Amino acid sequence: MRTRLWVTGLGLVTPLGIGVEATWERLVRGDRAVRPITLFDTTGQRARVAGEVDGVHVPSPAWSRTSAMAAQAAEEAMRAAGVDVRAERVGLVVGGTTAGMFETEHLLARLHAEPGHREVLAAMLSHPLTSTGDCLEERLGPFARVRTLSSACSSGSNALVVAASWLLAGEVDVAVAGGSDGLCMLTLTGFNALGALDPEPCRPFDARRRGTSLGEGAGFLVLERAERARARGARPVAELAGWAVGAEAHHITNPAPDGAVVASLVERAIARAGLRPGDIDYVNAHGTGTPLNDPVEAAALARALGGEAARVPVSSTKGQIGHTLAAAGAIEAAITALVVARRTLVPTAGLEEPDPAAPLVHVPRVGREVPRVRAALSNAFGFGGMDAVLVFADPERGREREGGKAGREEGRVGGEGAPHNRTFPPSRLPVIPVITGAAVFGPCGLLDAEACATLPEQRLAHDAVVDPDAHLDAMRARRLDRAARLGSVAVQKALAEAGAPAEGTGVVLGSAFGNVDGSAAFMHRIFDKGTRAASPAEFPNLVPSSPVGHVSIYLGLRGPAFATADLAASGESALVQAAQLVAAGEATRLVAGAVEPRSDIVERVLAALFANSPAQAGASRVDVAAAAVVEAESEARARGARVLARVAQTIEWRRDGSAALRALQAPHGPAEVVLARANGGAGALLDATAWRAAPRLLCEPALGESDGLGAVAVVVAVGRLATGQAREALVLGLAKGRGYAIVLAAP
Amino acid sequence: MCYTRTVVTVAQLCSELKRLIVSELNLKGRDPETIEDDAPLFGAGLGLDSLDALQLAMSIEEKLGVRIPEGEQARAIFKSVRAIAEYVAQVRSA
Repeated sequence: MRTRLWVTGLGLVTPLGIGVEATWERLVRGDRAVRPITLFDTTGQRARVAGEVDGVHVPSPAWSRTSAMAAQAAEEAMRAAGVDVRAERVGLVVGGTTAGMFETEHLLARLHAEPGHREVLAAMLSHPLTSTGDCLEERLGPFARVRTLSSACSSGSNALVVAASWLLAGEVDVAVAGGSDGLCMLTLTGFNALGALDPEPCRPFDARRRGTSLGEGAGFLVLERAERARARGARPVAELAGWAVGAEAHHITNPAPDGAVVASLVERAIARAGLRPGDIDYVNAHGTGTPLNDPVEAAALARALGGEAARVPVSSTKGQIGHTLAAAGAIEAAITALVVARRTLVPTAGLEEPDPAAPLVHVPRVGREVPRVRAALSNAFGFGGMDAVLVFADPERGREREGGKAGREEGRVGGEGAPHNRTFPPSRLPVIPVITGAAVFGPCGLLDAEACATLPEQRLAHDAVVDPDAHLDAMRARRLDRAARLGSVAVQKALAEAGAPAEGTGVVLGSAFGNVDGSAAFMHRIFDKGTRAASPAEFPNLVPSSPVGHVSIYLGLRGPAFATADLAASGESALVQAAQLVAAGEATRLVAGAVEPRSDIVERVLAALFANSPAQAGASRVDVAAAAVVEAESEARARGARVLARVAQTIEWRRDGSAALRALQAPHGPAEVVLARANGGAGALLDATAWRAAPRLLCEPALGESDGLGAVAVVVAVGRLATGQAREALVLGLAKGRGYAIVLAAP
Repeated sequence: MCYTRTVVTVAQLCSELKRLIVSELNLKGRDPETIEDDAPLFGAGLGLDSLDALQLAMSIEEKLGVRIPEGEQARAIFKSVRAIAEYVAQVRSA
């Protein structure tokens, strides 16, 4: 019997209104919220309209608009579901891209006028990607675990997939997942530079469309296992029945013209739901309204749905709300769940002259009630070709079908030969994640795991030149910024060590602050020369998931791809996330780690913050990328790979590490602890565990300081096991108010 | 007289554009002089794509002071280095 996942609560903050009902009422009416931007000056921009949210309550200057909208939406969803964070293990997954860029732009403008302004500099890193999860933890927590991820415009969808994997693995009882993104000048200017925005409110699937419209907002969903939800008397909005995520590995901004990856994800998501195309009664399209997206998406749907494409209504909400980027996947998932629950289709507003190049069954102007919506799809595609397809279904659909023949017969019409697996996922045997290859790239050069075994003993020159170009094809790598280059080199080496094929491989890379320097340079150029001087090629590199996208394109990796962020423990969050996805059977093989190029701004901010404490200011920071290939043990054995280490246990926590570490398994043989850096907190935590006597190895004295050292520690630990120096190794990664423990064991 | 001056300008513009293409589009190791005046820039030619065209249009506007129009017109202008140079020369002499 497959475990069913129910959506038991929804929360929405959109340009149409604050709250699910306010949004839904106007959505069905066909109202359009895309209008002239008031949040910032848009003089000289090609498109000057967007979907702005009125009435965002920002509780304090420590909060960004993005975090404030997220809190409003998550709170609504949790209240609707009746979630009790004290009584249940509740996980939180937040998808984001711009985070506090709107607030940071004001600081950048002041720094542009006064470059050395210390107070302004000190505030520069106040709103990293992680800040939204931190605000939600403070306001709505405590959560059992918190994950921040980004896959550009599919972030919200990937957040739901991670939440689903946690629930299926039984690691949490309830998951709150979604995305939030506030409008800012950087994204408007960047999308305008790409020529991707329609000067008028966008018209998805219309022959006259000239681009998308931006929007802002937040969407959160509460998910739980049906059995548990039923036991506590919760009612389902809809079932999250299936999903599929993957990467196109094609281009950083353009969709692959054949739509093959999208088509295959639609097929896989429907099959995973145990359904056939004949069971799908509605598609909420990505439908951006760009000339490139809409025909490709229509072709992909035609290919995946076969003859059913001529029956299934498709609409895009972007003409009403705009493209809310990281929030889009979650907002549209919530809307799709409502379409299923209320048997009411939502329209494509702005569509008047359907483009024959995107032949679909449209829902023009206003929404309409239909007799039934058994199941519906929600598509989201992001920069770098990170695509996600979700399937929401009527929880009662099985019973209805048993009652009448119509559904069954309709299912057969286009369902012949379509994938149909009613027992998916298969019986849940425990999957052991193992590491088959790993690499570190930094002042030490490019080292495989075994060579990293002796890294902690070395004392390298921190100013050693780190030259990724020697390892890359210049022409194919020409669009890669420094982070993407460092990442590609480390991931390429790790995969080579693992002897792993690109086929079926995904990427999860962590970064503490993302491309701060690039974003600052992009804005300074705009301040200096105006918005027309914004670089279209540079803009996609500012998205937090950009290194992941570039790595997947450069190396042809089409598995799940996203970035994670958790301050100085971002690499640990990526590795733990990868191990969780592999253990849950959601990915065959993931390369996971951290990419942290030196950042001038991070160094200046630290210098401003710790002006009286040079040690903490960390003057000597280094370029670091580290990655490990995490895959299912059965997969590694089947392809004859050498297993370097097993991932025996992972623990993650917020606030109290000592309580979380009571679950830490004791070492059985010669064991070592590998730490990113000397940290009194780590010592105190370890002293209370069975690992207190294990030798402690440090990475920072060898390599220099970097927020990516946690991933280096993992590779060092793998190296210690692979070279027989230890039988078990513990990596303990700590950052402000959070931590991760990763126990690795020799195979 | 006028004709000769235009020819010289187009040739100079071609050289300038080639250097711009190599630096702006990060074609590392490519000698600008090896780009042919009439070779197609996109697809099979130099291997550029629509994102390169946008970047090139931005830098031509910034460095040469000529705004490249959008859409179909841009497609014709971006046919080759010579086509861009001729367009720039034409706008400047207008």
